[in-house]
Amino acid sequence: MNVAFKSSDQQFGKKFTVVALSLLMAVIIFSTYLHHFRPDVLKVPSNTDVSTWKMTPLEKTWIYDRMTEGERETIRKNGVPGTDAFHLLLYELLSLFGTWMCFMHARKHYSLWMATAFLVGSFVFTGVQETLMILSGRFWMGGGLLDPNVWGSYWFPQGILWFLETPVWVCLCWFLIAYSCVTVAGKVFPRAGLWSRAFAGGMIAMVIDLWEDPVLTSPEHMKWIWAKGDHVGILGIPHGNFIGWFFLIFVFAILWEKYLPVFEKRLGGWLGMTAFLVLLLCSNVIILTILITWGGIANQLFPLPEGLHIPPASWGW
Amino acid sequence: MWRKIWKHKVEFYPYFSIYLFWFVGSFLSSLRVQNRPGIVTLGLITIPSILLITIAFVKTYKELPAD
Repeated sequence: MNVAFKSSDQQFGKKFTVVALSLLMAVIIFSTYLHHFRPDVLKVPSNTDVSTWKMTPLEKTWIYDRMTEGERETIRKNGVPGTDAFHLLLYELLSLFGTWMCFMHARKHYSLWMATAFLVGSFVFTGVQETLMILSGRFWMGGGLLDPNVWGSYWFPQGILWFLETPVWVCLCWFLIAYSCVTVAGKVFPRAGLWSRAFAGGMIAMVIDLWEDPVLTSPEHMKWIWAKGDHVGILGIPHGNFIGWFFLIFVFAILWEKYLPVFEKRLGGWLGMTAFLVLLLCSNVIILTILITWGGIANQLFPLPEGLHIPPASWGW
Repeated sequence: MWRKIWKHKVEFYPYFSIYLFWFVGSFLSSLRVQNRPGIVTLGLITIPSILLITIAFVKTYKELPAD
């Protein structure tokens, strides 16, 4: 990425990083408390007893169709896999390690302020976006505001620390994927403009996700669970997921590289970051609206019972 | 070569990071998946991305000052 701005005020960068990360930690601590100790507030589905899934019963998840009868019985008996301390800690630590590497690189090549803005911005952008999608499934769909046949939604069953209703390891992974892929695009296509590099970064990440999503949503892992609703499936995954992956990284790369330095120059460090976060939140709402609207159109184009599945459902996907 | 990479390791951190994510999150995890026919072979779909990451890695290496 070719960013003209590079903050030289190291003192401000340190102060900003301490305050921003402290605020982030406060949100994480509160969210983690809510998720683990007051699951009733956000209607967190149980990991141990899937028969209590009222909003989205096991039978109405994408994973259900992909399971053998034996696997269904195992899930009903033992609950969601991978919720033991070893697996939970492994994912938290690995994502933290990857994040640390990307943060060090960003700090060296841009500035501490820009690196922190990318990290905090990633949390706010992806954490809020995922939480909006998750809670829309729990509250809107359950309350009848959205047709469950149109809006599938999903949720994450595994995580120690939480940012809103998104596991911290998911936010960290999103940060490292977004930063790495946009860095790769900038290195491979150095003469390309910002929009082209953001497009390439989004495509690199989306192609990686074409494998990662079918693997990690399998009955053996169940890192996230999709509710039925999307009629169009790619490799056993709702197609809206891949559109979302591409758009989130594409939009974030443009906002971070183009608008954050402008905001900083015009408004200063604190107000500039605040304006950046407001812009990210507005983008979240726009992206969510586009995804829901497109989901409705796609479902009309490919009505049930067939829908559209690539490859065909008869292949076992 | 390894000394040069180690000396400038920060330059390679984004690539290490995404390789690690791909290796653990996709490759190793796919080996545990039983009931998806061809799930490991599906990894071939990520070749374009892995190729671009590797090109970026090599370009970064070549742009480093000689020891």
